[in-house]
Amino acid sequence: MNELERRYRRLLRAYPPDYRRERGDEIIGTYLDVAGPDRRWPSLAEAADLGRGGLRQRLRAAGATDLIPGVRLAGLLALTTAAFLAGFWVFAEQQLPPAEAGVPVFGPFVSVGIVAWCGWLIAALVVAVAPGRPARVAIGVALLMTAAVPAVSVLAGVPRPPLLVLAPMVALGVLALAVDDGLPVLARVLPVTAATVGGFLSYAMGVGAYWGAYRGGGGEFQPPIGTVLLLVVLLLAIGLGMRRDARGGWAAMALLTPVGLLNVHLLAGAVDGLASGAPRPTYPTMVGVALAVALLGPALLPAAVALRRRLGTPSAAAPCPTCGRHR
Amino acid sequence: MDTPLREPTYLILTALAREPMHGYAIIGEVAALSDGRLSLRPGTLYGALDRLTDAGLVELDREETVDGRLRRYYRLSPSGASILAAETERLRRNVEAATARLRARKAQALTPRTAGGLA
Repeated sequence: MNELERRYRRLLRAYPPDYRRERGDEIIGTYLDVAGPDRRWPSLAEAADLGRGGLRQRLRAAGATDLIPGVRLAGLLALTTAAFLAGFWVFAEQQLPPAEAGVPVFGPFVSVGIVAWCGWLIAALVVAVAPGRPARVAIGVALLMTAAVPAVSVLAGVPRPPLLVLAPMVALGVLALAVDDGLPVLARVLPVTAATVGGFLSYAMGVGAYWGAYRGGGGEFQPPIGTVLLLVVLLLAIGLGMRRDARGGWAAMALLTPVGLLNVHLLAGAVDGLASGAPRPTYPTMVGVALAVALLGPALLPAAVALRRRLGTPSAAAPCPTCGRHR
Repeated sequence: MDTPLREPTYLILTALAREPMHGYAIIGEVAALSDGRLSLRPGTLYGALDRLTDAGLVELDREETVDGRLRRYYRLSPSGASILAAETERLRRNVEAATARLRARKAQALTPRTAGGLA
């Protein structure tokens, strides 16, 4: 066994042990055929390919083959929601506070958040016209710009949107990275359509004082968006579930984190109790709830996969799909 | 298996239509069929072969060991052949429709127009 083969075998550990025993030699043999005689190291793309293949096989062994398509569906819904919010906030950013209030601004905009929102609008456009790698790069850049806003604000001493506005956008952005490369045209134009609708809505509301609501954490605006997103994905889950397609269920589970972060105001209000018929949570409660959602939400998917595996693995007793042997 | 087939799936089935092949040969054949545009990696190929086998479109043909490396040969199953034929027919109709429209458009562009219209 040469060094390259040893390294391939190390990467092959991404696959479940049973599958490795059945198919490992064949997969490694094909890698070595493709690699040629002079190679010593697997390429990054090969490592990623083995990682993806291993994840797929582990999900298959757990009877969760619909998980990846489900997360891709969640990616499209997340990107559409992020684009809608960005379209809305771009107009809200132009609603400057009255000069006499003495509130710091970022040039002609309320805050440096305008840069991130523009990044999301560009990402929505790129997804419509150039799906695949360019789209993923554009989404990645928008996500990094959003995540960097707090640090830029501190370093440059410029105002930023509230963390409770930025956090859901980051969660939506992470999920949006999973958007499918081969989307049909109608699905590809969804984000840019949503951004336009968000912009029109913001313009129609045209509230001179909207900067106040923005700076207040989007407490009034974000929860309905989160609730609509949850309803849409639940309807999809029911519709697809009726065709014995579990993608919608996985998509709903994947979207719980951004939905929770969009609804932090309501969730924290429920924790603190209702006052005057509307949630009036304290800031520490909102931060605590946001942290709890951000930590617990992403753990739900692996927990569901593990539970599914424990409750019954339809493929465990089945023969190897290729060689027909029973494991 | 969902139809229309995705391009890699379609090309894997097309590669196996001629004769049974092992993984490395399928990768080369898919690259040739797509004029080098599609380069399947082994992890992706074996994932696709598992799905196609689960769906009954591909079957194991035989195993060989060459230079100490295990090679499994795969063949198109009868239902794989009929899915491939149906998908090819669908694509052929699309190509015919598009070709006819493009010919008509070209002919229209070549027809001289009377200046001044109806006046």
